[in-house]
Amino acid sequence: MSGLWATFARELRAYFLSPLAYVVLFFVLVLQGAFFSLIVYHLNDPASAAGRPFDVFFSGFPFWMILLFVVPVVTMRLIAEERKTGSIEVLMTAPVTEGQVVAGKYLAALAFFAALWVPTLLYAVLLDLYGEIDWWTLAAGYLGIVLIGGLFLSVGLVASTFARNQIVAAVVTFAVNLLVFFVAFLPGMVDRPLFQKVFEHTSVLDHMDEFARGIVDTRRLVFYLSTTLFFLFVSARALEDRKWR
Amino acid sequence: MIEAHELSRRYGPFTAVDRVSFAVEEGEIVGILGPNGAGKTTTIRMITGFLPPTGGRVTVFGKDLFAEPRKARRDIGYLPESVTLYPEMRVREYLAYRARLQGMSRAEAREAIFETMDRTLVADVEGQIIGTLSKGYRQRVGLAAAILHRPRVLVLDEPTVGLDPKQIVAIRELIRTLGKKRTLLLSTHILPEVELLCDRVLIIDRGRIVAQGTPAELHATFLGRHHLVVEVRPDGGTGAPHDPVAGIAAVLAALPGVEAVEPLDGGPVAAEPVAAAPAVAEPAASEPVRPPSEVVRRSGRFRLSVAEGADPREAVFRAAVERGWVLLGMAEERGSLEEVFVQLTTRDETVPAAGEPAAAAEASEAAETEEEIPS
Repeated sequence: MSGLWATFARELRAYFLSPLAYVVLFFVLVLQGAFFSLIVYHLNDPASAAGRPFDVFFSGFPFWMILLFVVPVVTMRLIAEERKTGSIEVLMTAPVTEGQVVAGKYLAALAFFAALWVPTLLYAVLLDLYGEIDWWTLAAGYLGIVLIGGLFLSVGLVASTFARNQIVAAVVTFAVNLLVFFVAFLPGMVDRPLFQKVFEHTSVLDHMDEFARGIVDTRRLVFYLSTTLFFLFVSARALEDRKWR
Repeated sequence: MIEAHELSRRYGPFTAVDRVSFAVEEGEIVGILGPNGAGKTTTIRMITGFLPPTGGRVTVFGKDLFAEPRKARRDIGYLPESVTLYPEMRVREYLAYRARLQGMSRAEAREAIFETMDRTLVADVEGQIIGTLSKGYRQRVGLAAAILHRPRVLVLDEPTVGLDPKQIVAIRELIRTLGKKRTLLLSTHILPEVELLCDRVLIIDRGRIVAQGTPAELHATFLGRHHLVVEVRPDGGTGAPHDPVAGIAAVLAALPGVEAVEPLDGGPVAAEPVAAAPAVAEPAASEPVRPPSEVVRRSGRFRLSVAEGADPREAVFRAAVERGWVLLGMAEERGSLEEVFVQLTTRDETVPAAGEPAAAAEASEAAETEEEIPS
């Protein structure tokens, strides 16, 4: 396990030693703040439909933009950089397994990604001062972020394992995650009931709506955990193979 | 100790390493020598467990490197060719990371880091960001990281490449001290380095071991005799007519212990053309240019092939005195490992054989660039 924690600690530290982390943090903070205040203004308008700010926030288009754009930036360097500079050689000749390395890097990415959402808790606290926040519903919403973000990150990790170039890894991650995101719009376009059913169960957009409303469905948990683990497995195997050497 | 059995690695149709077998005994320093693209780095990568071989196996102190990688890797310290440190980390941070990667406890790591930093002379930069260090320091940090967990086998891929002469000397010194207690495998294409550091040499060319042995053995096998280069001025310094080149050669060849004589740069030229010199210099040319044939050369050099075990130097001196020549110089020319190396590895470049078109050489070059990591 020492391999996992060594990788995790170094990777997390690497985020905060690079300017990229601060650029990402800055823009995410600005966007989150801007969207949230827009939502609050909007809901304060007596003409608009009633809704809870966090529901709107979590299911809004801006939220997905953050998710789709931030994930590739967070994951692109994970393994691609090690391959490019050759430090992978040092890593993979140490007495650690590929699984530990992949897990350590993934958890570091997930931790950094999760940290990006921590400031939004402040909005919740503010809202709680003036109104009422159902903290369990909110927790479900954050669980949704971590699960969906977790899946997207695992896609990014796979891309970073296969691509030596970080930009390629980022573009592939973005494209694949965008496709996954667009699945939500497919049920309206196909008329076969079977496909519709499949798409309903894989629509991240609908899932996020559920989570935001406080619904934690075990099927969703199984879906996200299994797909994420699958991608981590693919990444570990690819690393083991080193066919790309 | 580390053993390679029939180790092979293919990249598609290209065979980078072809059934290479060797063993490095405990306490031995072995050098892997070969031109670029010969398969050195590929071999090293398989020996360290980074690259799975397509055939054969590697054992480290009896443990199979690919069957029980975590146990076997613990005994290996590895410094890759492109010393790859994380440039954004500080030296001590980095060493701490490498120690954790090796599964060392915090206390163990701290002690090992201090000790290693002292040994590799990086203690004075422990707080510096690696990206700001000079290449020599980075190399030493890389070495420090490689020996941190006290491995019994140390594998260094081109440890002095890209360093300035002073740094090279320092790193070699360090390698020598590190090699005293360890099994050390070193790849390089710098020949003096091998002669300086290694107990034994493996010469690899196009994925195969073409020769192995101690530097002395390789000399004996591939070069045999040595040479003596003699420079004489046959006119005795007087400008008088003297023995012709052939005559001098004959005298030298007759000496005991000399097997053959070869005049170098044509030998001394007879003294007549000197008189022609002022005539050429007439049109105010600051430097009269003479065709090379007219250059007056009063001394000449001869290369004598010396018979095994003979030493004809005294005889050469006596012969010179006897004939009235001035002996200007005498130098022994011992074949260097360089010559062995060139002899063994340059066939295809000098003589492009029909079966090995230039495309093959290009292919192997391409493979080398493929496996090299841009730094």
